[in-house]
Amino acid sequence: MIELRNVSLKYGEKEILKKVSLTVCDNTIKAILGPSGVGKSTILKLMLGLIKPNSGQVLVDDTDITPLKESALYGIRRKMGMVFQGNALFDSLTISQNLGFFLRENMNLPEEEVNRRVTEQIQFAGLEGYEDQLPESLSGGMRRRVAIGRALIFKPHMILFDEPTAGLDPVSSKKILSLISSLRHHNNLGAVIVTHIIDDVFNVADSVAVLYQGEIIFDDVTEKLHESKHQFIQSILSDKILEL
Amino acid sequence: MGSENEKPTFTRMKTGESTVIASHRMQFMPSAVILILGKKLVLQLKDFFLTMQEFFFFSLKAFMAFPKMIRYWRDVLDQATICGTDSIPIVLVSAISIGALLAIEVGNLLEDFGAKTMLGRSTALSIIRELGPLLMGLMLSARFGSRNGAELGAMQISEQIDALRAFGTDPIAKLVMPRLLAALIMFLPLTALSDFAGLQSAAYMADHYHKIDPGIFWNAVYPRLVAKDFVVGFLKAPVFAIIITLVSCFNGFSARGGTAGVGRSTIKGIVVSSGLVLIANFYVSKIVLENM
Repeated sequence: MIELRNVSLKYGEKEILKKVSLTVCDNTIKAILGPSGVGKSTILKLMLGLIKPNSGQVLVDDTDITPLKESALYGIRRKMGMVFQGNALFDSLTISQNLGFFLRENMNLPEEEVNRRVTEQIQFAGLEGYEDQLPESLSGGMRRRVAIGRALIFKPHMILFDEPTAGLDPVSSKKILSLISSLRHHNNLGAVIVTHIIDDVFNVADSVAVLYQGEIIFDDVTEKLHESKHQFIQSILSDKILEL
Repeated sequence: MGSENEKPTFTRMKTGESTVIASHRMQFMPSAVILILGKKLVLQLKDFFLTMQEFFFFSLKAFMAFPKMIRYWRDVLDQATICGTDSIPIVLVSAISIGALLAIEVGNLLEDFGAKTMLGRSTALSIIRELGPLLMGLMLSARFGSRNGAELGAMQISEQIDALRAFGTDPIAKLVMPRLLAALIMFLPLTALSDFAGLQSAAYMADHYHKIDPGIFWNAVYPRLVAKDFVVGFLKAPVFAIIITLVSCFNGFSARGGTAGVGRSTIKGIVVSSGLVLIANFYVSKIVLENM
């Protein structure tokens, strides 16, 4: 479980997050919806301890990670997988090397086990035949699937998606969303999805938090989003995609 | 009333009464321009000291990651190849050309004083103490430093460094420590190679251009070289390795703003490290020569 308690964050004079409180339970998919540049990706980085808040607490499995040093955070981060908006694949490594990179780097697994897990992820992501290709030779959707496979290979408890369908064509988006949905059914994983596309929320999320001007203005099950009277939510429900 | 007061001033300024313009500017300067300049200066100073603080902690973390060298031995070897073996051609070219030029110019100068036989002594001192290590440092600042800045900058922009951290890998131990260790190991033999190539080309030019017998040339080199000359030259190698690697890697890690940001951080890394290499070259020589 990940919990944000009264988290505030400033970049210079600009207040990004204002006393944000949020809970992500295990085995559920939570979406964080909001316009571009509102601080959604920042919330994911806070959850991983990549940045520290100015005030408030970030709890991962009841451990407050805000006072922890970088070295102490590595163990906590391995409980979570992260899919970055730009995928963040290592461009000089092949697909199978990318998938196995962190297993070889951080876990003392025998090479046979690493190879077994890499093969498993290649099959899960439908990337058979592309094992020895470099990321640059794959399409955007395929690269995203490699990034998801790399995040899953650790067998994390929670997976964090930063705009998983941004920049993808409708077919690739659909594939990625079905891949995310399958995680809950097959792997029993919890997930946080940061997005500005409201259809993604209705397609995969159990609950949704809406971030607007640094504050959470809605946090409930997805179905109740339609019941909200907030002017901003009403406007995004009619526009579907947030281009604010 | 205010508008009535302002109107004649404006009119007079337009008519060109310089005294009024001067007094108007004098009133404007302290209140606005100085304040703005002062604020900018304070912000820049604050920014400078914050960067220095970040650089200090970055460097400290890189040195503290040395115990992980066994884990990352493959990365150390890769970097040793890049900054060592792959840099041999450029180090040789620069050392040979400068050694040859030095021999021609100094030989011409010594000829005026009838002291051409001292050519070996003067070129050996210049190359071993100063030019060998300095040229090697500047060449590696351009070659190794630019590679570090561009590679790490691109990784920073594409969130690969964040990915390392997010999946539990220390990016400084994985990316910076191997580069630093490789540079510390490889800069010493590269300095020796630079000295050797520079002296050989100087000896060749002494023989073929100034018609100085090689025996005379080398006799002026070997017996007169003392430990201090080698200490000055070879002490610069690790100092340059630390400066070039840490400055270029820090700038790569600090890259922001897309591909243009990578370009900016790479240029900054080369300019700052080259400048610091020149300054360090002077101070290492000064300190060692004064104390040995």
